[in-house]
Amino acid sequence: MAESQTISAVQEAVVGALGVSEDEAAPDATLMDDLGAESIDLLDILFRIERSTGVKIQASDLSEYIQGGIPDDEFSDENEIISEKGLEQLKKVMPQIDADEQRGNLHAENVIKLFTVQNLADMVEQRGGSAGS
Amino acid sequence: MARLVTENAGIVDVLFTEREQDYCLGKRRAHEHMAGRFAAKEAVLKAFGTGIGQRMRWTDVEIVPGRGGRPEVCLHGEVAAWAERRGLADVDVSVAHSAGIAVAQALAVWDEEAEDSRRGREHAGAFSSH
Repeated sequence: MAESQTISAVQEAVVGALGVSEDEAAPDATLMDDLGAESIDLLDILFRIERSTGVKIQASDLSEYIQGGIPDDEFSDENEIISEKGLEQLKKVMPQIDADEQRGNLHAENVIKLFTVQNLADMVEQRGGSAGS
Repeated sequence: MARLVTENAGIVDVLFTEREQDYCLGKRRAHEHMAGRFAAKEAVLKAFGTGIGQRMRWTDVEIVPGRGGRPEVCLHGEVAAWAERRGLADVDVSVAHSAGIAVAQALAVWDEEAEDSRRGREHAGAFSSH
């Protein structure tokens, strides 16, 4: 699937699940903070994406994709602030994040709130590619 | 919840164990009970401070009817392993649903002497519409 088709499929799923406009479901919109998605909405979005693209993603896959398989105690410190290793990983999957700005401030539970429509499209693209290889 | 379940074939198996499905489907307002159980699962994961983390599944947190119909929490899989590592002593949950809204609260009690337990008590709530 071409990247433009993937982002369109993700935007369509977001619009359908959240009842937001196509303009609101812009690539740089964050799913939770900007568009108000809750965990049950994320499930709805992921099932819609599966129906339209054939790419199956489970809710727990989001955490795994974001953390890149890094264990929780290495991804964040004892106060659950994202570690340097965690920030390096985030730069790969959420390149819009300003690591300098977030260094020492970003709590682990807030990372998912920064996940954008484009980040999800990138994940679908990656999963679709690996499923087809 | 009704729309979610109706529109997405297979989502019930992702969210609920067989026991939970049997319980909810045996009720007159099945979707309302499903919304209550989902809110309870979310409340438990919020009390743990994890959300749905790596390798965790919604079915790892099972809400079953206990004595007198009081909901009880059974943990499985990655969530059970995580809770054991952190020194979970007990987890309690309450669920209410009415007029299109389901609300749940969870209370997690941690063993402070557990090696890597960082918290004494945490409290979290969640709600879900149906």
